[in-house]
Amino acid sequence: MTDRLTRDALEGLASSLSEPGWMTERRHGAFDLFEKLDMPDPKGDEWRYVDVRDFDFGQFDVPAVGGKGVELPAEVADRGVIFTDLATAATQHAELFKEHYFTEVPTDEHRFTALHGAFVSEGFFLYVPRGVEVELPLEAFHTVAPGGSVFPHATIVVDENASLTVVDSFRSEDSDRPALCASVVEVEARRGSTVNYISLQRWGRNVHHFQTQRFTGHRDSTVRSLAVNLGSTFARTQVESVLTGEGSFSEMLGLYFADADQHFAQRTLQNHAAPHAVSDLLYKGALKERSTSEYSGLIKVAKQAQGTDAYQANRNLVLSEESKARSIPQLEIEANEVRCTHGATVSPVEEEHLFYLMSRGIDRVTAQKLVVFGFFGEVLDRIRVPAVRDELADAISSKVEGSQVLEMSA
Amino acid sequence: MSDPLLHIEGLRVEVEGREILKGLDLTLDKGEIHAIMGPNGSGKSTLAYVLTGRPGYEVTAGKIAYNGENILDLAPDERAQKGIFLAFQYPTEVPGVSVVNFMRTAYNATHPDDQKSAMQFRMYLQEKIDLLEIPTELVDRYVNQGFSGGEKKRNEILQMAVLQPQLAVMDETDSGLDIDALKHVSAGVNKLANDEVGILLITHYQRLLNYIRPDKVHVLMAGRIVRTGGFDLAERLEAEGYAGIAAELGLTDEEIAELRSAEAKV
Ligand SMILES: Nc1ncnc2c1ncn2[C@@H]1O[C@H](COP(=O)(O)OP(=O)(O)O)[C@@H](O)[C@H]1O
Ligand SMILES: [Mg+2]
Repeated sequence: MTDRLTRDALEGLASSLSEPGWMTERRHGAFDLFEKLDMPDPKGDEWRYVDVRDFDFGQFDVPAVGGKGVELPAEVADRGVIFTDLATAATQHAELFKEHYFTEVPTDEHRFTALHGAFVSEGFFLYVPRGVEVELPLEAFHTVAPGGSVFPHATIVVDENASLTVVDSFRSEDSDRPALCASVVEVEARRGSTVNYISLQRWGRNVHHFQTQRFTGHRDSTVRSLAVNLGSTFARTQVESVLTGEGSFSEMLGLYFADADQHFAQRTLQNHAAPHAVSDLLYKGALKERSTSEYSGLIKVAKQAQGTDAYQANRNLVLSEESKARSIPQLEIEANEVRCTHGATVSPVEEEHLFYLMSRGIDRVTAQKLVVFGFFGEVLDRIRVPAVRDELADAISSKVEGSQVLEMSA
Repeated sequence: MSDPLLHIEGLRVEVEGREILKGLDLTLDKGEIHAIMGPNGSGKSTLAYVLTGRPGYEVTAGKIAYNGENILDLAPDERAQKGIFLAFQYPTEVPGVSVVNFMRTAYNATHPDDQKSAMQFRMYLQEKIDLLEIPTELVDRYVNQGFSGGEKKRNEILQMAVLQPQLAVMDETDSGLDIDALKHVSAGVNKLANDEVGILLITHYQRLLNYIRPDKVHVLMAGRIVRTGGFDLAERLEAEGYAGIAAELGLTDEEIAELRSAEAKV
């Protein structure tokens, strides 16, 4: 029989890895926290309406270690780019790695980051040296076995005036046995650098997905994130942009499409800590059948962050009577010279739109598809990786048709 | 010998429980242009919608035969696939859907034997754009979004040119247009009129008929076709207004009052 996520299992996992002692110590520290912390409060701001108090950690097997690994394309290998699994980073790039590992997202944020810190099972360290522009998107893939767990970790550092695009994919087969993913992504964009990070959550049914992504943007940096939620049964994605450098820019895109009994929760933070920074957030989602979604987004502007421009929009398209979308914008503004706008909408597909399209001979499902594509177009058009755009177009199309939906009994 | 293109008999239609069409008869043949004139609120758009199968327009009696076939049980897309087209009085804006993508999807849906690739469709579309003298950039915009009134009407005519229907119902395609736009849109319709297509030209005013000559003019009032004639009937309406005819028809006081209040709302 396989082990559950216990202290003993953690020791077994740590000893099977050839990682330095400080990493194992950190695992134990994180597990202490996991045991000590309470479950997130569904009445608090960050987890509003997301009630995981009954979440049963005891149902998942320990993670398989190592994952699929990552590969650095030959074109960039000789330009000093580091793209390796964590154990390799810890031995071959010890100093650099130790300096950045778990700095942006500490393990004590909540029980899921604590458990992640204890059981980190795969992931990558990615460093782009000063001035190096990596044009090809670098890719990482994660999977999980039925009934299992996976704890992917990404630590990304993009040095001054360098640029990078990363596509991080999460995929598995549908299963009737629940599985867990608790993931952390920490990104530092140094002065004048550009980072595009895309997470594609396309888990099979019955995976429970928890992810925290945090981006720190230094002076004149550009950080673009895209958080996609299509798969899993339950997903909570927390995406935070911390604009610590003057003149930094952050684009935050979200795209989600829920069906059957899927439940997606998304939390975003636009944290303006420096003057004249710009953040532009657009999260768009469609909901079908009995699915539900929550979006809660905070724009926070510190006193010294004068001249901030912050935009936030969450738009939901509801395709059935039973599905529900909730949207909660929040503002905390201490500076006095700021431009902030936020808007949230939840609207059904307009029958009038469908009728107009159908009156030209287009069948109802195709008409719906056009309307849904029209809705997502605003996000799709801003995705800079054509392969991702195409993949999402296909995924959206099959979600509308519904042919891919495998309904699991509870 | 063959069935007329469109044959409507004793048609009664209710909208939200209220009877709007009260026994309407009409026959249109291929190659003909018929004008339907009537005061505001007389049920012109209701007739147009019921022909296209819009939900909410309930046929309580009568029949509609298209090429001899009863179409009342067909969905809007099925009717369009058989060649029925409506140029909307108020064309709908569809956010994020480009005109060209929309039209290609519609073309391929209505022409199962002639599927066009994106490239082929572009070329075909350009021919129609040139024929109708429509600004090309229109088709790369989102359907009717941010279009002026005139652009919306032109876009409807363009769709008609692209889809090549057998029966085109044009609901107040003239309304809201200045004289230049009116001439332009009328020229477009004239280019599309031929022996294979029947056109129902719905209008409130006679002025459109100066540019598109109808074979017949019908007057729709109080839910029925109350007069049918030639162009002279349209001229007479222009001179006398609808109230003149109403009295002569022996409409009930109630019906006349309804007519007046609808007219007053304009
Ligand atoms: N969707 C609708 N809901 C309620 N009433 C409607 C609707 N459509 C039309 N009507 C009513 O039906 C009558 C006829 O309208 P309509 O067919 O639009 O007239 P016309 O096009 O001749 O101006 C009007 O009294 C109008 O208020
Ligand atoms: Mg009308």
